[in-house]
Amino acid sequence: MIKYKKDTDNIVTLILDMSDRSDNVINHEIGQAFLPVLAHLQAEKKKGQLKGIILTSAKKSFLAGGDLGYLYQAKDPKGIFEFAEGLKKFLRDLERPGVPVVAAINGDALGAGFELALGCHHRIVVDNSTIKVGLPEVKLGLIPGGGGIIRLMWLLGIERAYAILAGGLRYAPKDALRVGIIDELATDSKEMMEKARHFLRHTKVGRRPWDQGDGKIPGGTSKDQQMARKIRFMATSLAKETYNNYPAQQAILNILSEGSKVDFDTACRIGTRYYTQLVLSPACKNMIKAFWFDYKAIKEGENRPKGFGRFRPKKVGIIGAGLMGSGIAYACLLNGLEVVIKDVSRLIAERGRMYAKQKIETGLAENTIDQAEANNMLSRITTTEDPSQFESCDIVIEAVFENAQVKQKVTKEAEAYMDDYSVLASNTISIPITELAQTSLRPAHYVGLHFFHPADQVPLVEIVKGAKTSDETIARAFDFVNAIKKIPIVVKDDWGFYAARVQNTFILEGITLLQEGCPPSLIENLSLQAGMPKGALALADDLGLEMVLKYEQQAAAHYGNKYIQHPAVAVLKNMIDELQRTGKFKRAGFYHYEEGKSHIWEELETHYPLVQTGFDRVEVIERFLFAQVIEAVWCMQEKVIRSIPAANLGSIFGWGFPAFKGGVIQYINDYGIQAFIDKCKQYEKSHGQRFSVPKSLERMIRQEET
Amino acid sequence: MLASSIPKKTYQLSIMIEAYIFDALRTPRGKGKSTGALYEVKPIDLLSTTLHALKNRNQLDTGQVDDVLIGCVTPIDDQGYNIAKAALLHAGWAESVGGMQLNRYCASGLEAVNLAATKVRAGWESLIVAGGIESMSRVPIGSDGGALLYDPELINKVNFVPQGIAADLIATMEGFNREALDQYALTSHQRAEAAWSQAYFTPAIIPIYDRNGLPLLEKDEHLRPDTSMEALAALSPSFDQMGQLGFDELAQQSFPMVGQVEHVHTAGNSCGIVDGAALLLLGSEEKGKALGLKARARVVAASTISVNPTIMLTGATPASQKALQLAGMKKKDIDLWECNEAFAAVVLKFQQDMDIDPAILNVNGGAIAMGHPLGATGAMLLGTLLDELERRDLETGLVTLPVGGGMGVATIIERV
Repeated sequence: MIKYKKDTDNIVTLILDMSDRSDNVINHEIGQAFLPVLAHLQAEKKKGQLKGIILTSAKKSFLAGGDLGYLYQAKDPKGIFEFAEGLKKFLRDLERPGVPVVAAINGDALGAGFELALGCHHRIVVDNSTIKVGLPEVKLGLIPGGGGIIRLMWLLGIERAYAILAGGLRYAPKDALRVGIIDELATDSKEMMEKARHFLRHTKVGRRPWDQGDGKIPGGTSKDQQMARKIRFMATSLAKETYNNYPAQQAILNILSEGSKVDFDTACRIGTRYYTQLVLSPACKNMIKAFWFDYKAIKEGENRPKGFGRFRPKKVGIIGAGLMGSGIAYACLLNGLEVVIKDVSRLIAERGRMYAKQKIETGLAENTIDQAEANNMLSRITTTEDPSQFESCDIVIEAVFENAQVKQKVTKEAEAYMDDYSVLASNTISIPITELAQTSLRPAHYVGLHFFHPADQVPLVEIVKGAKTSDETIARAFDFVNAIKKIPIVVKDDWGFYAARVQNTFILEGITLLQEGCPPSLIENLSLQAGMPKGALALADDLGLEMVLKYEQQAAAHYGNKYIQHPAVAVLKNMIDELQRTGKFKRAGFYHYEEGKSHIWEELETHYPLVQTGFDRVEVIERFLFAQVIEAVWCMQEKVIRSIPAANLGSIFGWGFPAFKGGVIQYINDYGIQAFIDKCKQYEKSHGQRFSVPKSLERMIRQEET
Repeated sequence: MLASSIPKKTYQLSIMIEAYIFDALRTPRGKGKSTGALYEVKPIDLLSTTLHALKNRNQLDTGQVDDVLIGCVTPIDDQGYNIAKAALLHAGWAESVGGMQLNRYCASGLEAVNLAATKVRAGWESLIVAGGIESMSRVPIGSDGGALLYDPELINKVNFVPQGIAADLIATMEGFNREALDQYALTSHQRAEAAWSQAYFTPAIIPIYDRNGLPLLEKDEHLRPDTSMEALAALSPSFDQMGQLGFDELAQQSFPMVGQVEHVHTAGNSCGIVDGAALLLLGSEEKGKALGLKARARVVAASTISVNPTIMLTGATPASQKALQLAGMKKKDIDLWECNEAFAAVVLKFQQDMDIDPAILNVNGGAIAMGHPLGATGAMLLGTLLDELERRDLETGLVTLPVGGGMGVATIIERV
């Protein structure tokens, strides 16, 4: 597992090479495996036969992260505490004896893997932009468990350490050097080893700042007035951003604040206590479920029809150079694809190029891409007004405005030049694919690809299967979405598909509260406290009240005489027909819009007077979330969405359902199935039939558990 | 009589309200240094743990509590900005409960109880939590600055010396030799160990756990049951060097009859530096009945005095005498005594001056064995005394602490 080599300079190279796996990972065994090695090194040191140590890897990655399977299941605080303390002890044993250790990083070093690098006295990384290093634990609701928080604090000070830890970014080597988490870059593995030896030849003793008696944390501790004041504002801005829904970021700040006042080892132990608490927290379990297990299930193709070879798109046609088309084009460029952007004139199609250019310039300014990459990306754009240019495209995506005739016309034009293998995708938000495909020359190759605005940023894409769409086309659409590094979820061709349909129930619940006399500010603020990205009323304005109403009318048409009118419908009709306030586009909706700012429309209160009865905050928040969860369960039952992982990630990435809940279906698991059902019954009684639970719920959840 | 000159009004309180103790609890004491078990525990956590316990033990509707008075001697940093209110909010007590931090040096915890009793007896408040906290490992004694410690004008004006020098001065003037002090220290350890091993402290102890329920400290950490006269004799004097720096001279300037200050106090026969917290629940009979709280003892009398600031630690005797006088009691009316073991000489002098049988003084050991968490100690001693009165089925007890600046505080309780 650990290869040992010693050269004539008395420099030992330790090569991590865990057997039976493609990656080196931090688990219960690694500390054990190191024990005899460390003991041997101590003996060598005593004999004066050890100058230094180079730690590197034989795998593609330096050292991947921790054992998430263990952390997801872990329930025993003592076990978790001892696991993390064990890891910390191993890293202390490595850094403390005074022998300098260099981490020679030749591949990804993330999470616990990067903690090992931080436990070394010097870090050198091969400068290859595909290598990623960093501490992304917060993305899973976790924090570094090996003392990395305290090490970063001692190396960079509280402020910089907090920004890196709470951000959870994965850094390319150049960026890692810039933010200060590594010490040197090397052009290749050979230079990396040379630099490592050079460092060791010139370093007598490896003593970390925290093991030196007079060591000081840069920028001071939380006992210093200035730093204490800064921490106070770091805390408030955290609360402002997260509404206290994300305990990992809070824990990081707490550990830095508390840990800066005490010695290194006590600080690490304080960290372990928070770590243990987090691993046991619902938010962490929910986020590991969503962003690790569900993500893996989707990426591994649980929704992809089986039996079709992998589709490898190279050239993508885009019809429509508006914001959506340009965004899709840029997403393709970012992932190495060629794009052909067509619009009614070449001049208009050029907007797509301008959009990409702007993004690339920002990237250059922020140093996230270099000039060569920029030139390469720009060289892959073609603009045209001529559909014959689509002849060589593997997939053509229509992204013109929401009008069935226009969409049908442009897709037919494109199809005339497309070969039998290529896919035609329509990006629509509300027109059924089956309807659009009616005029298609090749309906089996016609599929819906629902991107979300802004398309180059939102990581979700809904793949809509029309009545005649073939499984092979679905598989290809799936592979295309993967190729541009987005998350594909396959949805049924019903109104609003999945994301918009479920999101609408949140908006409708907010509007219902308004009609009940709930203060608009309470609706909006509790939306945010619930973990939604926007207030329900603001979101209604963004979408346009007519769109919100349209989705609900489509639902009414779908369910026929079984449909019971949602209490929000009357409000929507009144706002649209009587008050003529249809939303942000008209600068008049539930909000009043002025240049750059907005506020709740003053007259709203006269039309929807406040009632004096109090609104229970927990209940309002639950109504927001339950409405979405129940609709998602209906979507599962009606096969609008095909799996629990797709439902969960679709909800988080599609419309911003709270990530700390792990998505719409995980919400039920977290709440407890029986407790959820009981609460639904209670809300059904007090608020209406929309809170009744689909019968399939219990069966569905239990199935997943087995 | 002064009272007769005040015009009587119908709404004036005419009945004497008594102050009763319903409950008393404390944390184990951790060593007051970075290797101590409570070093990593924030003072608000220590205090809120005891608040939780008090609430749960008494099934308390915290909204019924009028005020929380917390003694804390170094109220800065983690203990600053009124730790009483901070801990109340941390513990999730009702918003309506007030919190106040107070500082009567080492008697702060007892002073909190006395103030609570006074408020109850005044009839203006009916349910009060009183106690103290000190995390000496995190907020070292004297780290809050202050004129008495650091203002050269004042130091030399009043001949203000460290407490250890004052204790050595007492020993010198009273002729207590090193052996007598060590013998007292050994007794303290033996009595404390006997009390622990027979679980006398158990009912009052609130163990400290971490945020995941893993144990941090369940027993006083400073205790050394295996210590001996030999081991104690081997320790070097703690205040010798300090005396030589000029503090001995400073003491002699106030007490010129002293030839040379004998440095007889060591780490072994002085109180230990520790972390800990303690709380008592006090209130009126009426409130207790309404909430189903059982009154365990009545606060009979409380006193504060002050003596010469240089010798400083001789206030226990006058404080006790004043309390006895207020209560209309005689020395023989007290069944058990507690005098804080700040230094062995302090207790020996008190015992000698008051002529108390050593067998009924500090019967379960004290701060020499278990440590002295400054702000909390007074409340701990009162709780310990009450538990012991109940265990022995005795009636009355007196707690006293001689403290900084020459002050002394005493409290007399009687079981009901």
